[in-house]
Amino acid sequence: MDVWKPTGIELEACLRSRIGPLSLWLRHLGDEMLMAVERVPEADAVDEAAPLAPVGEAAPETLTWARWVVGADVNVVQLVPAMPDRPVVVRPESPVRIPTGHEALLFVSIPLWVKVTVGESRALALCEEPTVVISGTWFGDPTSGELCYAVRTRARRTLRDSEVRPHRAICPVRIRNTAPEQLDIQRLCVHVEHLRTYDADTQPWTNEVDVTFEGEERPSRVDYAKGPPALGNVGDMLSDARTPLTKGLLRKTLVSFRSFAGM
Amino acid sequence: MSLLAQVDPSEWLTPERLAAALRIAVLLVVGFPLLFVLAAITGRSLKKRLTPQVAMLVRKGILYLGGTLLMVTVLYQMGFRLTALLGAAGIAGLAIGIASQTSVSNIICGLFLIGEKPFAVGDVIKVNDTVGIVLSIDLLSLKLRTFDNQFVRIPNETLVKTPVTNITRFPIRRFDIKLGVAYKEDIARVSEVLREVATANPYCLDEPEPLIMFTAFGDSALELLFAVWFAKADFLKLRTSIMREIKERFDAEGIEIPFPHRTIYTGSVTDPFPVRVVKDEGKGRPAE
Repeated sequence: MDVWKPTGIELEACLRSRIGPLSLWLRHLGDEMLMAVERVPEADAVDEAAPLAPVGEAAPETLTWARWVVGADVNVVQLVPAMPDRPVVVRPESPVRIPTGHEALLFVSIPLWVKVTVGESRALALCEEPTVVISGTWFGDPTSGELCYAVRTRARRTLRDSEVRPHRAICPVRIRNTAPEQLDIQRLCVHVEHLRTYDADTQPWTNEVDVTFEGEERPSRVDYAKGPPALGNVGDMLSDARTPLTKGLLRKTLVSFRSFAGM
Repeated sequence: MSLLAQVDPSEWLTPERLAAALRIAVLLVVGFPLLFVLAAITGRSLKKRLTPQVAMLVRKGILYLGGTLLMVTVLYQMGFRLTALLGAAGIAGLAIGIASQTSVSNIICGLFLIGEKPFAVGDVIKVNDTVGIVLSIDLLSLKLRTFDNQFVRIPNETLVKTPVTNITRFPIRRFDIKLGVAYKEDIARVSEVLREVATANPYCLDEPEPLIMFTAFGDSALELLFAVWFAKADFLKLRTSIMREIKERFDAEGIEIPFPHRTIYTGSVTDPFPVRVVKDEGKGRPAE
């Protein structure tokens, strides 16, 4: 996708990029880089990812500009997709049930963060902006757990072209039920800080997450694929994980109906 | 002949006395500095593994105990009979103990608090009516800084005897808002509006889900409890934003928050309330 490619920015230039609900304005004045953000509700956003390009009209006066002193010789800017800075709790719109001995592949769409970098080879990262402001949630009981973002999703089993949203990354999650009981998935906590993003035709993808559910009493085993997913027309890596992992995790990842009802 | 001239140094400076003097000098010159170094090293290494309070306790224990042992040894080398000294110390100890009951109690309570760890430095706690941030947990007392920047010292004995609320112990908290709406309002609609306010507020957590409970038929209003969860660091931002958002949304939806009021009847529902106008004689107009 062109939106993730480096773009030249000359002195006094003003560029704008639109990625779903998020619009980024960039200006290069003297030795400073200025940036402003505009957002619309996600439901009203156009599903497009327009790369940074000069703007014909003047920037709205209501914008609040942030300034960075980067030097006058900086003339390249690049937008880089990133995963949210906290784990994401995915809540399927309708519960998904996996009988014992079975597995299911779910496609979860996760809102992207956009990192603004300047200089050759993304030498300097200025800031990050979420494309969608997601509400916070708590995964765990009130005395211990972790602060996450909440994402509602259909938890699709297949992908359809009509649901392309370029400001979200598709995360394939494979869930295996090796426990003797059925698994009713009410919520799924995805530690997106361990995910990479990969380029694709219409929207980024992440590497696959493999979850093995071994019963309510034991934490689930979570593995993160090292390379791009085999599904979809996926290309080069766009960004590395915030926290790269070298081995699998045992984590409380799934909340099934029984444990949720007991909370 | 002067007194000093009568003393023969060769009789006084015997080899045994010289040896004792050397031992005393070594104890004082080497022993005390070594003791301080040992206490400092132990304290620093324990700080990494244990709480700062325990490390401080151990360091002070080494200093006081080691210092006492060194002094007793020096006195013994100087030839003092320690049994009499210990006897006197025992009697003095009894007198001091009776006089310092409160201080000793505070020290003992401090040890219990350090072991039990009901709170740590940086926590926000409430003791009786005092709310503040814990600055330090010391042997005799706890030091707090209130939110209006006052310094409060609370004896450890008070902390052990009274309930202490640790406001920031858990990572998330619930903010309870008591509301009243007019009797004419539709509870289901009010609940839906409150749910939307919680969803739109960035500091309200989606889960645990906000609680909306119809609690009572009040004298002047239908009473509701609206409780939302938040991360403990967002308390001030949530509190200031959500109260304002509720009011704005209620105004936009035309939901009335009634004042307390009373309806007065004169004995019959249908007859008008009798009013008598009395003229104010001094100013020539009806009294108000």
